[in-house]
Amino acid sequence: MHRRTFLRIAPAIALLANCGKSPGKIRLALNWKPDPQFGGFYAAPYQAHGLDVEILPGGAGTPTIQMVGAGSAEFGVVSADELVVARSQGNDVVALFAVFQNNPQGIMVHASRKLASLADLFKVPGTVALQRGLPYARLLEKKYGFEKVKIVPSPGGDISAFLADKNFAQQCFIMSEPLTAKHQGADVQVFPVSDAGYNPYTTVLTTSGEFLRNDPDHAKAIAAAVREGWRAYLDDPKPTNQRMKQLNPSMAPAVFAEVAEAQTPFIETDETRRNGLGSMTKERWEALIAQLKDLGDLKTAPAPEDCYRAL
Amino acid sequence: MKRLRSIIPALIPLLVVTAAAELAVRYGSVKSYLVPAPSSVLRAMIESRAELFGALLTTSVSALVGFLLSTVAGIAIAVFLSSSRAIQRAFYPYAVFFQTVPIIAIAPLLVIWFGYGTRTVVASAFVVSIFPVIANTLSGILSTEPALRDLFRLYGASTLVTLFKLRFPAALPQILTGLRVASGLAVIGAIVGEFIGGQGLGSVVDVARTQQRVDKVFAAVLLASVLGLALFGLINLVSNVTLRRWHASEQ
Repeated sequence: MHRRTFLRIAPAIALLANCGKSPGKIRLALNWKPDPQFGGFYAAPYQAHGLDVEILPGGAGTPTIQMVGAGSAEFGVVSADELVVARSQGNDVVALFAVFQNNPQGIMVHASRKLASLADLFKVPGTVALQRGLPYARLLEKKYGFEKVKIVPSPGGDISAFLADKNFAQQCFIMSEPLTAKHQGADVQVFPVSDAGYNPYTTVLTTSGEFLRNDPDHAKAIAAAVREGWRAYLDDPKPTNQRMKQLNPSMAPAVFAEVAEAQTPFIETDETRRNGLGSMTKERWEALIAQLKDLGDLKTAPAPEDCYRAL
Repeated sequence: MKRLRSIIPALIPLLVVTAAAELAVRYGSVKSYLVPAPSSVLRAMIESRAELFGALLTTSVSALVGFLLSTVAGIAIAVFLSSSRAIQRAFYPYAVFFQTVPIIAIAPLLVIWFGYGTRTVVASAFVVSIFPVIANTLSGILSTEPALRDLFRLYGASTLVTLFKLRFPAALPQILTGLRVASGLAVIGAIVGEFIGGQGLGSVVDVARTQQRVDKVFAAVLLASVLGLALFGLINLVSNVTLRRWHASEQ
């Protein structure tokens, strides 16, 4: 009854959720523009698995995880910490395939400052561009304190402030902004955030619990296609890079190849050689949940086994 | 009592929409991570009151300074432009430029020019709010009644006297309209500036969004709207005081 009343007053919401959808089509929402971190998703042989997949590129602030929860995309690419926070708020989303086994996020600094570690960075005056809402930003604050440095908002992928100021440090993807900065002549040093003990899976293929219950076969098929896609991309990224370049002309062609090479050790690890690309373990999810709980990010801690599904 | 009765029509849609949203979320038609229940927005506001109201104060100062700058500069520029056709042709296109500046696109540059913090935020508020002041003031000054202008000329009034005793007062209703538009834009400009430059409600929204705290995002947005309303009210007050005696719009 209530549902019906609501639908009468707000049909627009329902319309929005399903706009542009043709029957049988599966939408995969990315959280950024087409670039090598999504290479395997573009290389995946969806048709061979009987799937009609449309990839929706994202941008800064695309609410990918809410889109998956709301059903405006059947699948999405998010990071594991986002997923845990979303679950704690009642958004029933489940991870299927973890592309980055190790956290590719880091803080880049000018090498001329001769800093030895992340801890050092926060001991000397300087500017650090950091998205304060991110769990790892608060972890760093808790661990090292932000009293000495000036924290400013992250400029996204823009590195002009970094290039202009020797005492400017900024959050980055280890295989992305530092490469661009090097191309522009900067002497860059990168400290991985995992050094501080924060290492969630990232670029994680995710779907809603509802989709998984209603259509487990398609979920399985997409996970298999993505796994094959990543295998193919790791073996030879060239043809896929060619395609992505056309979709995202803002990234220099040479950078595509470089990034694809630099990211490989994050994707293919000893663990994935044993258990397969994209595999996840309960221990890693447990550790992440405990960390996020410690940071006060979770209303209620989700159960680790609910967060992911091996297909 | 009359005051109160005049507020009632505005309260009814507010109550209806709030109640509908609360029920829709509570009975599961809308997921709470998409649209927060009004009660949870209120709770977020109470829980984070120190942070939110501190941010509101910061944003208010920046928006107000940006707004005052565009008021002063906008009116001065409009007076300058009104001094001759040639000047107008030469410079007005550049004033129009300010209206079309996509603030989101140039905001990162503002940071490089003005540094992180208040100056960037004020600059952003200024850039987006100056154009309506210029455009409305100019059109007001230029549309002085010709008969009155002739009268001033007949009595040999100087250009300055004509400006302050005739053109400017006659343009006041339009100037105030420009300021009303500018006040809302200044708040938007300040918040966009804060996304990039840090601090204030813009920063609260940015952090809350990253943390998937929709309730807190809405709480901050609500405070931003209150700020916009307050500025709007202030201008209406000025308008009422200055125009009451002679202009139809305030009688």
